[in-house]
Amino acid sequence: MKPPLRGLLLAGGRSTRMGRDKASMILRGDGNTQAANALLLLEGSCDGVFLSLREGQEKPEGCGSVEILRDAVSCGGPLAGILTAMRHDPEAAWLVLACDLPFVDPHVISRLLAGRNDSPFTAFASSVDGLPEPLCALYGPKALPILEEHAARGHVCPRHIMAEEGAQLLELPAAARHALENINTPRDLEMMTRFSNPGTAASKSAGETPGREVRLGWFGFLAEQRGRREEVLVTSAGTVGELFAELSAHDGKGGLTSGIRFAVNDEFAPPDHPLKAGDKVVFMPPFSGG
Amino acid sequence: MNADFSIREHPLDITSLREALASPHYGGFVHFEGRVRNHHAGRAVTSLRYEAYRELAEKEGALIVAEISRKHVVKAVAVHAVGDLRPGDLAVWVGAAAAHREAAFAACRELIDAIKDRVPVWKHENYADGKSSWIAGCDHAAAVNPDHP
Repeated sequence: MKPPLRGLLLAGGRSTRMGRDKASMILRGDGNTQAANALLLLEGSCDGVFLSLREGQEKPEGCGSVEILRDAVSCGGPLAGILTAMRHDPEAAWLVLACDLPFVDPHVISRLLAGRNDSPFTAFASSVDGLPEPLCALYGPKALPILEEHAARGHVCPRHIMAEEGAQLLELPAAARHALENINTPRDLEMMTRFSNPGTAASKSAGETPGREVRLGWFGFLAEQRGRREEVLVTSAGTVGELFAELSAHDGKGGLTSGIRFAVNDEFAPPDHPLKAGDKVVFMPPFSGG
Repeated sequence: MNADFSIREHPLDITSLREALASPHYGGFVHFEGRVRNHHAGRAVTSLRYEAYRELAEKEGALIVAEISRKHVVKAVAVHAVGDLRPGDLAVWVGAAAAHREAAFAACRELIDAIKDRVPVWKHENYADGKSSWIAGCDHAAAVNPDHP
């Protein structure tokens, strides 16, 4: 029988480079803190979700009444939180997610869960160096003794532990290659903000990054999913289809993208329609008039 | 607003549309009224909302009316409602007038099928059990079952 799946949100980082608590930051247009969005993601797939914090750390904003697990291991870093959780429920498999991965969405989580088996570690391979990404990963019950043993040797980097122990590696969905990029510095944050809630600083520093400012419109269930009907953003996507893939990170396996049609400047447009600065791009689910 | 095809807020007033198709030249006039059903896929529908991408819907709708008018040599007009509707309310109205009835019947049928298929309008249904759902259109709806949502 499959062990139960628990969710662990890692929010115990010191956010030293950022200079303020990353978990409490609002990075996306929906107004939720990063911690709140990550908890929602975990709650969607896990039977029981826990928030990992350092001893004495204040709970980040937007976390509601989630159960808190405070680091009970002195090794520090994310491994302290992961070990604490696995000792708390050693029979469970743990879906571990760091609070500073704003591009992780339900499709990325589904892909990860689809790869679940009885391996100690299941993780995505980094799109940069192919090494396992330990902070959006599955830790099966068999991982606990392995992690304990490494921790006892002072070996605390979960990435290296996973690489050394031969984690089961998954590929990120093509449309979500950058889903595991995290936000560490004010500069990262600025890039992120320009990507997802522009309208703010988008056009002011044009020239620093390649990109075009476009106006977007969403209808039907797409508007509901996106949480808005209109927005302005800067994109480096070359075509309307690439832009959609970039925004939705759908992997093409789900049924939701099938039948989506595009319009550019109030005309139907095929997915390979090139984007120009100033274009109005509209995403349309299958029609249901009449 | 395009004269031959328009998106309008509920409730629709079709008086002017009927008048546009009245002429001693036309011996046949056929119209179709699409009304809100109180059931869908076995669930009781209490109300629904239509939304449209107005700019593109009116452009595409006018193109459909022009194509079918030319093909069947008819004069045609159509309108689709947006907003909150209840069962029995008029959602879409299509009319075709021609010298003889055959062309009017054929054009009317093709118009409503093409509108459902090609015009960017979306339906969000509310059910008696408190749930609600966006309705995903179906490409083969018109060909297979004229009563398909």
